[in-house]
Amino acid sequence: MSEFFQQYFDFTVMGDYFGEVLDGFFKNLLVFVVAAVLALIWGLILALIRQLPGKKFMPLRGLTIAYIDVFRAVPILIVILLISGSLPFLDFLPKSIRIPQWFGQPDPYWYGVMALTLVYGAYMAEVYRAGIEAVPGGQVEAARSLGMTHGQAMRHIVVPQAVTKIPAPMLNELISLLKDTTLVGVIALGESVLIGREIQSETFNSSAYILAGVMFLVITLPMARLVDYLIKRNRGRVTRGSHMEVA
Amino acid sequence: MATEAMVKLEGIHKRFGPLDVLKGVDIEIAKGEVVCVLGPSGSGKSTLLRCVNLLEPPEEGEIFVAGNDICKGPNSGSGEQGWKLDFVRQRVGIVFQQFNLFPHKTALQNVTLAQETVLGRSSAEARAKATELLERVGLGDRLGQYPETLSGGQQQRVAIARALAMDPEVMLFDEVTSALDPELVKEVLDVMRELAEEGMTMIVVTHEIGFAKEVADRVVFMDGGVIVEEGPPAQVLESPREERTKQFLGLVLER
Repeated sequence: MSEFFQQYFDFTVMGDYFGEVLDGFFKNLLVFVVAAVLALIWGLILALIRQLPGKKFMPLRGLTIAYIDVFRAVPILIVILLISGSLPFLDFLPKSIRIPQWFGQPDPYWYGVMALTLVYGAYMAEVYRAGIEAVPGGQVEAARSLGMTHGQAMRHIVVPQAVTKIPAPMLNELISLLKDTTLVGVIALGESVLIGREIQSETFNSSAYILAGVMFLVITLPMARLVDYLIKRNRGRVTRGSHMEVA
Repeated sequence: MATEAMVKLEGIHKRFGPLDVLKGVDIEIAKGEVVCVLGPSGSGKSTLLRCVNLLEPPEEGEIFVAGNDICKGPNSGSGEQGWKLDFVRQRVGIVFQQFNLFPHKTALQNVTLAQETVLGRSSAEARAKATELLERVGLGDRLGQYPETLSGGQQQRVAIARALAMDPEVMLFDEVTSALDPELVKEVLDVMRELAEEGMTMIVVTHEIGFAKEVADRVVFMDGGVIVEEGPPAQVLESPREERTKQFLGLVLER
């Protein structure tokens, strides 16, 4: 039994390698923060293109829908491997894009950020869409009848209301994104799980994995609680709203 | 009247899929005239109103606002682009049954936003105008409040101020008191009555027979997508010629 315990919870191993695993986890966080910001922006752009009115924008809308469908359907690992495996060999691109090492980060870091942004942008676009569609149609009508353009109505009326309706699903996506940063280890970014693997093959002990897992828990558990809180608060707000209408 | 038509509709047809909502409506509204449109639900009266500011572009017919044919835009034809939207929406204000105030903006911001974004007024200018209008509708002490903290009647008055802030030449009212509790109806109708007295051109879709009798220059009764009868309120409301009008008024006045 103690052998079993030791395989997963060897505090000596955890202590010896704590610094290394933590360094790796910081890389996860660094991928997460940049990819999250980019995906939130990219997703909003996609969602807004999807809402463009009229026949004129039909091709653009179709293209966006196709993009979202494809990137939601394809395993992220494929996207990561595809980018890191192909980009260096696209000779027509400048070297700084083929092998990006911006802000002192290595190229696997940027390949990972790109892949996660492309995929999570599609996820986020769907979250935004849910928010936009939850804004009552009368809001757009009111804005348009005051002479606002579609863009003005989106910017001043629809999007500000849409984002208040989606923090819970958005946080869920962000939790997934944080966990999926471990996939970038596959292309040799020294993140926590890859470090854990190296430690495991050195010591034949799995405690480093547990350590990495705990680090994720420390960040994601509060996020999950926050989701619950937001959902509950939102429900309270809806009930209050309906009371007011009755009164 | 014919010389100075503010709004003129000719042969308006509107379909929603297989449903013929408007089956050829002709009407002229003079500058400063107040027209009340009555009719059972589904008669097409709200749709008619929404055609005037092109929230529902009609399939057939012509609409003239201040002498301009708004159905013949620069690239007339398909969809919203074919219509003179800017022209219409800056001259025609509309107030909705459900208020449709912007919930994330204060009463004041509801009235200033479009002034700044659409008309390009400075924020000081927009603010002054909004304050004046909100005072006029009796809400000078509510400028900083959000819609959810206002009663239905107060919200509807903010909505009227919001539409007026664009300096419209025509105001459309789409059953604006139907979603209100009975005791709040009067405060909204009072504002509309004042507006009528000041000479605003108004098209009012309503179930308030008393208001129509008192304020309207003309009453129009619609049923089945056509105008059944129209004339001065005393005639249409008290001695209607058409059987359908009699029936409808009988049902409404019974309440």
